[in-house]
Amino acid sequence: MTYYVTTLLVYAAVDILACLAISLQFGVSGIVNFSFIIFQAAGAYTAAVLSLPRDTANGGFQTYILGLNLSFPIPWIAATLVGALLAPPIGLVVLRRLRSDYQAIAMLVLSVIASLVVTNTPAFLDGAAGLALVPQPLSDKFNPYSDGYHWAYTAGALVLAVIVFFIVQRIINSPYGRSLRAMRENEVAAKALGKNAVAMKMSVFVVGGAIAGLSGAILVGFITTWAPSTWLYPETLILFAAVIVGGRGNNYGAVLGALLVPVGFEEATRYLPTFGPPGLIPALEWVCIGGLILGFLWFRPRGVLPEQRRVFAARPKPIEATEQYAGRD
Amino acid sequence: MPVETDALAATPAADPQPSAERPLLVASHVSRHFEGVRAVEDVSIDVLPGRITGLIGPNGAGKSTFLAVLAGTLPASSGTIILDGDDVTALPAFRRARRGLVRTFQLPSEFAQLTVIENLLAAAPTNRGDSLRGALLGKRYWRADENRLVEQARDLLDRFRMSAKESDYASSLSGGQKRLVEIMRALMLQPRLLLLDEPMSGVHPSIVGEIADYCESLRDDGLTILMVEHELHMIERMCNPVIVMAQGSVIGQGTMTALRQQREIVDAYLVG
Amino acid sequence: MSLIVAAFGFGLVSMSIIAISAVGFTMQFGITNMINLAYGQVMIASAYAAYAVNNAGVSIWLALPVGAVFGAVFSFLLNRLIYAPFQRKGTNLIGMVIISLAVSLVIANVMLPIVGYYSVSYHQNPGTTYHLGSIALTGAQLAIIAVAVVVMLAIYALLRFTRLGKAMRATAANPTLARNCGIPTARVVDLAWLITGALCGVAGTVAGMNSDSFSVASGSEFLIPIIAASILGGAGSPYGAMIGAVLIGEMTEISAAIISPEYKQVVAFAVLVLVMVLRPQGLLAKRGALAAAG
Repeated sequence: MTYYVTTLLVYAAVDILACLAISLQFGVSGIVNFSFIIFQAAGAYTAAVLSLPRDTANGGFQTYILGLNLSFPIPWIAATLVGALLAPPIGLVVLRRLRSDYQAIAMLVLSVIASLVVTNTPAFLDGAAGLALVPQPLSDKFNPYSDGYHWAYTAGALVLAVIVFFIVQRIINSPYGRSLRAMRENEVAAKALGKNAVAMKMSVFVVGGAIAGLSGAILVGFITTWAPSTWLYPETLILFAAVIVGGRGNNYGAVLGALLVPVGFEEATRYLPTFGPPGLIPALEWVCIGGLILGFLWFRPRGVLPEQRRVFAARPKPIEATEQYAGRD
Repeated sequence: MPVETDALAATPAADPQPSAERPLLVASHVSRHFEGVRAVEDVSIDVLPGRITGLIGPNGAGKSTFLAVLAGTLPASSGTIILDGDDVTALPAFRRARRGLVRTFQLPSEFAQLTVIENLLAAAPTNRGDSLRGALLGKRYWRADENRLVEQARDLLDRFRMSAKESDYASSLSGGQKRLVEIMRALMLQPRLLLLDEPMSGVHPSIVGEIADYCESLRDDGLTILMVEHELHMIERMCNPVIVMAQGSVIGQGTMTALRQQREIVDAYLVG
Repeated sequence: MSLIVAAFGFGLVSMSIIAISAVGFTMQFGITNMINLAYGQVMIASAYAAYAVNNAGVSIWLALPVGAVFGAVFSFLLNRLIYAPFQRKGTNLIGMVIISLAVSLVIANVMLPIVGYYSVSYHQNPGTTYHLGSIALTGAQLAIIAVAVVVMLAIYALLRFTRLGKAMRATAANPTLARNCGIPTARVVDLAWLITGALCGVAGTVAGMNSDSFSVASGSEFLIPIIAASILGGAGSPYGAMIGAVLIGEMTEISAAIISPEYKQVVAFAVLVLVMVLRPQGLLAKRGALAAAG
């Protein structure tokens, strides 16, 4: 029971982190990062190969690079950094000159190709089989199979999610967040008003990449395995579905979406009686995800919790001028 | 058939103080080609400070393209653009805007899901919170700037009689109100040269005169404006000089009265 | 060396399949200004439609038109029922990309329970193998090349000589202007979806014929060389897509011979990245994948 609840909560924290990043990139700034999941994967792989011992010393049934056997929190910090550092090279190719929909496609193709390369290069990250037996953080000091460890891990993951929530909140409620929204609404006009749109996009690409990298590290530290099948491109679409359902550009919407869509679906199907041939239920799940996106974009394009209108306090109280505007800061 | 521009420029009939003024913007031999189509061909103009310069011509004359090239929205194929002595030809649009060369657009281009005042604030160039670092440092770091800019934006809203709409989404405004938002938004940058691309198109006739009043009042405050427009009676009222373009080239310039006496120009544009 | 020459021969088949599909893909973009990411899934659905007929004992060559008709009707309905309503609603470019990806996911997963999870292959007689130096191609492969040549000529003739083709070009260039000139743009768009859908169906079927087996998962694999060829040629330009198909088809097959077949798609992707960095408008288009300047 403890394991079930803590697993659920760790997944919730990871999905909340991912949805916050997508809300910042897509909801606030209008960038459709269809390669989002590879940032998460990069974080997970980084954390894994930094905490794993050398592959030759680890039973020899898997092959991978590095294997530095580093202790927590270095792998997590490195995962966050790798997520951030992956952003500039991709951004430089994709975000500079392409039309917005081509940006999305380029990133989608990148996601497919990255998975293909990792799958077909066993010496890199153990190919299709993926990494297993990833040491859990501080497992040399505590028993990772104890209830206490599970709860502590869960608490840590949730605290990180809350911290990131407030960081993203700071960004979107700031003048910079306003500029990002202006760019989303009309990029050409924003440029004509002195906004360096490429640099702005790059900045949210890096911040989102860092968050994604961290979320990957948290996930792999808990489930201890990571393989290409866990980061196929449709996984990104689930997160987009979550943000669209929850409400783009609204952090509370991102959290709600994370709880409703990725977490909710996983749980709902767990309790369904098995019916039909094997594989029918996952297929229906994907149909539902696609249907949710279409349905919400048609009937409620701004989601359950839409972006809030920012109202400035009236003039007679100039000292309080921005209280209401940034009231949630 | 292009008329000798020099001959026309040399007839500043109604100019109060000719020749002495140093131009704010000098465009020399500017061309813009699209895949072989010469949208703008060897255009040279001077924009004098403190005036509203009109840019007129038939549809497809290349006026809007020329404006876009001046603002950097489109790169020039050749030629140079000098703003107050500095060559800005190689600068991207956002850098030109930061140097005071700010444009509006022919089609409505408000930030639809931002409120009216947010449209203005988003354009403000000097907010400490308008960077990732500033944002992360928190509200205390940028609150003073924000308050100052809110005041500045509200002053503009008052001046343009739009205060009542402050917190409305820009998407809900009428065509004319959107124009005003775009002009106010540009003014938040405290531009040296404001480029207006058909500020009166798509606007209810009753508001056309109002927009002209605002432009004249801005000019009287010392702002330089270059304006593409089709409303000839408004151009006649506000603009001096007026530049006429046809088929990508300048075919004449001078006061509207002087231009009406140029047969070639009347043939090319003013009549049909 | 002979390996590379042999790969060149396979490249001829690959380019044929990519050309048929990429021309359809890029024309959909040209006419409707949207990227239909469900294209690969419609291809695979058409391949299965042809398979159903083929499996009932009909020759695959007679099943090919069934694939074409299926692709045409499917694409037409897709546009009428989903894409066009969203576009009329004013959904922006990135909204449409998300929608088409969602549609792609729905199609793939509706298909899965129907057609099953295992790969299938057509019942076909590959025919005699013909040799020319190191190049060895089966009769079926030569026939695929012939189909592609016929289709390309037909598209050329359609765009160049027919009223419909001219109307399509006008609609692609400027829909408002075309409508004002009296072109029934709605009907042109419908016909464009039927024609490009037929190309998609033909492409899916011949792609199935040329591979040992195919499954629902093949849909997204198909899409990468198609996107690469379209963007390389210049998004929206049918002739550009043809050139792009030739280059991508040969490059992927020859690199497969030199490096490893697993990296075929990676080579297509590398080309795509190079194009995006160096010439986003592609070889032949004015705008292609390039953003509005500014």
